[in-house]
Amino acid sequence: MTGEFRKWLATGLTVLAGLTMATILASPATAQGKTLTVRFYDDPAGFDPANIFRIENENIAFNIFSGLTSYDGVTGEIIPDLATSWETADNKTWTFKLREGVTFHKGYGDFTAADVIYSFNRIKDPATASPYAAELAGIVSMEAPDPYTLVIELDAPNGNFLHTVANYHQGQIVSQKAIEEAGDQVRWQPIGTGPYYLDSIDVSSQIVLKRHEDYYDGPAPIETIVFNIIKDEATATIALRNGEVDLVMRANQEENLATLEAEGFTMNTVQNYAVALMVVNPEVEPLGDKRIRQAIAHAIDFAAITQAISPSLTQAHYSMLMPWMDVYTDDIPKYEYDPERARALMAEAGYPDGFSFKNLSTSAQGVSEVQQFQIDYLSQVGIDMEMELVDTPTFNQRRNAGDFDTATRLLPAVNPDMILFSFLHPDNLVPNGLNGARYDNPEVTELLEAARAEPDPEAAYEMYKRVQQIVAEDLPYIPTYASNVYWPGKPEVTGVHINYLAQVNFHDVDIAE
Amino acid sequence: MAEYAAKKFAQMLVTILGVVTLVFFTLRLIPGDAASAMAGDTLSGEALERLREQMGLGEPLVNQYFGFLRDLLAIDLGETITTRIPIAELLLRALPITLSIALGTIVLSVAFSIPLGTLAAYMAHKGRRWLDNALTGTAMVIDLMPSFWTALVLLLIFSLALGWFPASGQLNWNDPWGVAMRLALPVIVLSLSQVATLARITRTAVLEVLNEDYVRTARSLGWSELRVLFRHALKNAALPIATVVGLSFGNLLGGTVIVEFIFTIPGVGNLLITGINSRDYQLVQTLIVLYALLFVVINFTTDLIYKALDPRVQF
Repeated sequence: MTGEFRKWLATGLTVLAGLTMATILASPATAQGKTLTVRFYDDPAGFDPANIFRIENENIAFNIFSGLTSYDGVTGEIIPDLATSWETADNKTWTFKLREGVTFHKGYGDFTAADVIYSFNRIKDPATASPYAAELAGIVSMEAPDPYTLVIELDAPNGNFLHTVANYHQGQIVSQKAIEEAGDQVRWQPIGTGPYYLDSIDVSSQIVLKRHEDYYDGPAPIETIVFNIIKDEATATIALRNGEVDLVMRANQEENLATLEAEGFTMNTVQNYAVALMVVNPEVEPLGDKRIRQAIAHAIDFAAITQAISPSLTQAHYSMLMPWMDVYTDDIPKYEYDPERARALMAEAGYPDGFSFKNLSTSAQGVSEVQQFQIDYLSQVGIDMEMELVDTPTFNQRRNAGDFDTATRLLPAVNPDMILFSFLHPDNLVPNGLNGARYDNPEVTELLEAARAEPDPEAAYEMYKRVQQIVAEDLPYIPTYASNVYWPGKPEVTGVHINYLAQVNFHDVDIAE
Repeated sequence: MAEYAAKKFAQMLVTILGVVTLVFFTLRLIPGDAASAMAGDTLSGEALERLREQMGLGEPLVNQYFGFLRDLLAIDLGETITTRIPIAELLLRALPITLSIALGTIVLSVAFSIPLGTLAAYMAHKGRRWLDNALTGTAMVIDLMPSFWTALVLLLIFSLALGWFPASGQLNWNDPWGVAMRLALPVIVLSLSQVATLARITRTAVLEVLNEDYVRTARSLGWSELRVLFRHALKNAALPIATVVGLSFGNLLGGTVIVEFIFTIPGVGNLLITGINSRDYQLVQTLIVLYALLFVVINFTTDLIYKALDPRVQF
């Protein structure tokens, strides 16, 4: 090595070291509070509670806004939020005691009952054109005898009203002043009372939340949350392994989960988040016969399929409701894998040699592995399931219109009453609602309405149980599997409790030193 | 020349109008709209109608069409249907990124493909088939690798294993080095197939020229092989190469869609995917008109370069 070169190298290294030091010193991360970087998986579509869609947007809104009630991240139970307590004698008149000392973000003032009345009226107002207006349609009157008491009168008893006013969609409380100032940009200028406020947003790359220092339950441990939009999951996995993000919102591919788990990342999860249902159109021959639907259920080994394809993400499930729901019952007929029974049922129904039907599905996903197995299992008993692949918006439109033989629906919801009403009540028949199976059983309809009105939880439970039993027998919807949600993260990121709406309350999250 | 330019310009306008009309109506022929794309699993019936109304999807098609034309003439790109963001604002951020990727790719691929292609042609000309075959064969294999696959492989090697380039992160123009590091892998991925194509074109063009009389004359004058190759052969082969480079620039703008997705680059391709997935007619039709405009302008420019490179070209 020549002296010249050594001198050059020494100079170069000194400059480099100096630059590195300067970068470290200038880095804002060391000067301020904690920052958490989270992978966000799609472009944000806005955070106006009146017009909010998709879980990832809802998760941001969940941390910006509060409702009268909220959901416990661990147990899924309804807990107080802006309301500290409530009472009702008949499920019709609800009196809420509101929390005092709650303030809106960015100096938009104190929270009072007037804000709740404004927020709910805004959703109900046809001028807002909120798709969630129907959720609050039952409210006849709202009165505030004092700023921290709210009396809501409903047109009919609703035992599930606490779900309606939870921190979700229509239940989120906004500030009148902020809404009026934002004009048509409400979705990008959300002002709430939640643990975080929206600091900045670049719709194609990044969302930054800052903690609300005056949050009623104390400021959150993490000062800044940066959501980086990384759409491709393989890239998101690499970003986590590279340390570019601390937490991955929604990892949905078995191979990525396996890699991350093997490398010691924390697999934050919520199990039994939602059930996938095969919606069967009874107007298509021979699907109107319940024995045929039972035969389909018996012919497919759902347990083996989920085990073979995605044991972390799915498991077999036999009910429309989830085990953690308070009205759930396990005491229903289950259709275990039994091809002989399937053949017998088909013969009984007059189709000993089988039949065929078309399953409507999205081309975005293609013929999934699950469906390939289903096709194979069904063919073994002589049922020919053809696949009809269309693009996603077409799929949504045709499914909403009820234009299919069978289609799949995954409806995440925490309110069991909402699921049962949407799927089983004749008021919600397609194309007006989600009842794609055209299910109209007077006995079930009567039970559902009575259960909703019943103030005694025990009595209501008995009615919901009966509904689940009848529906499992009639099988208008064939449950195929229940799915789980994962947010893999660095081991030092704690408190990632995913609730049953697949949302994380970032007030609980911290980064261990 | 002036007459020619005017004719070209008129052709350009007709082309653009055709694209606008075609895109406008075919987009709306596809079933599904922004409302059902947005609501997905959650809404149906009356609730969905409300959303549709709110997005202004109820207006008669003809009014929408002429409204779109009028706005285009006034250079008003409008707002996205689903998110109410001015499209000009989105483009202002996305366009520089995509153009940087496309330009970077052109520079990198020209720098590699022309010497390689010329070398292959020379080897073929000299009868050393094995090297020519090796070069063209490799180019063929590279060309066949799909970009989403090479993108992931490069990410695994250079980002995860070696840690040279980040896999995600913000593009901040105040930090040009950071931007360069973020765009390096996408540029390399796109250049790979570009190099393969351009090298083959160069090889064919140069090989053809090498058999021309004037090359033989140049050789007989005793000039060095390198001078013959680059001063005479390549210069005369430049015409078809320039055409392909010009056209590939347009193709590249489309080709960035996949790499932008995988490398999480918020460019125009990313916007287009968002627009298509959310059935945001306004966003998609504006972007496609923009692409068409770019293509037309590039074609026009290529014609001019043609003329500059070869004065014999007659209009």
